[in-house]
Amino acid sequence: MGLFDIEKKEGYTIIVGCGRLGANLASTMSDGGADVLIIDTDEGSFRKLSPSYGGITVVGDATDMQILREADIAKATAVVSVTNNDNTNILVAQIAKEMFHVPHVIARLYDPERECVYHELGIDTICPAVLSAKEIDKILHLQEVQEGAL
Amino acid sequence: MKTRIFLIGGFQKTKFLAKSLLKKGYHVTAINKDTEKCLAMAEIENLTVFNGDGTKPFVLEDADAYNADIAIALTEYDADNLVICELCKKKFHIKKTVALISDPKKTEFFYRMGIDSVVCAITAVANIIEQQTFLDEMATLVPIGEGRVSIAQIPIAATAPAVGKKLWEINLPKEVIVGCVLRGEQSIVPQGDTRILTGDVLVLISANKQQMAAIKELTGR
Repeated sequence: MGLFDIEKKEGYTIIVGCGRLGANLASTMSDGGADVLIIDTDEGSFRKLSPSYGGITVVGDATDMQILREADIAKATAVVSVTNNDNTNILVAQIAKEMFHVPHVIARLYDPERECVYHELGIDTICPAVLSAKEIDKILHLQEVQEGAL
Repeated sequence: MKTRIFLIGGFQKTKFLAKSLLKKGYHVTAINKDTEKCLAMAEIENLTVFNGDGTKPFVLEDADAYNADIAIALTEYDADNLVICELCKKKFHIKKTVALISDPKKTEFFYRMGIDSVVCAITAVANIIEQQTFLDEMATLVPIGEGRVSIAQIPIAATAPAVGKKLWEINLPKEVIVGCVLRGEQSIVPQGDTRILTGDVLVLISANKQQMAAIKELTGR
């Protein structure tokens, strides 16, 4: 990909929480040419973003609707809430969905037990424990098949 | 069967509330994730105490949430209180859920998420302070429907601009009505042509925070 032929993509994504996942996601999306804004309460956490990150950073509490308005949430096509607190992610996701009618809302939940309650609200949830378990199972299964073939 | 009430999170408020509810004959269960606080609360007679994180479904299940009638979320975080109430409502089908919140701007959002009653500590305290400040003008002010509607009792002094006027001559805000006029031993349900006299006490029903404007119109203060 050349310097000037970065394809401009439609849409605008807000990422809440600049942890490892948030920073990684924001950097990847920004490198891919997407409009990204990332919110975190701690300014220092933005150092995790890649040096080429071309999006906006906002310092503030994303559960505060004023901060979300400043982030222009009404224009967002997606909100991804990946703070380290499940309940904060749920709160942010529900505010995005119910108050600002954002089309795509994704929340990361460490605890898979709460998932069922939020599916019916139209919020997609990502659960690292479940994903990891599936992936490990896949690898182990693959190895078994290979061993069986030998 | 006794009405079963769950108090989730909080400490000082929870203790006070638990004692008050137990005294009224309810069955009260307190859930707290802090072991020390649980031990302190366990000293309250007849209070069932559970040590665990109330935002986790299995903790609520262990505490027998399926048989609870009312759940009150009192943690210090708005997000936790939202999750507690939503779990109680959607998973355990508890009829009434009450959430304490610290950010007044989220009140509407919490109601929209299906929580039956939202109590904002900041607004409640501010309202009480405001009421206390104007105590000499108002005998009582009772907020109803989370403060959207209030009933106030207003004594009319001789100097009040409303004295001698008929009710329809007074320019009251639209959302305010005078429900009753207390005159000595009499209580009058007023009509438009009821005249207001010195020493009357008006019972005012007002919506949307209009009571201050109405009181100013009636008493001149």
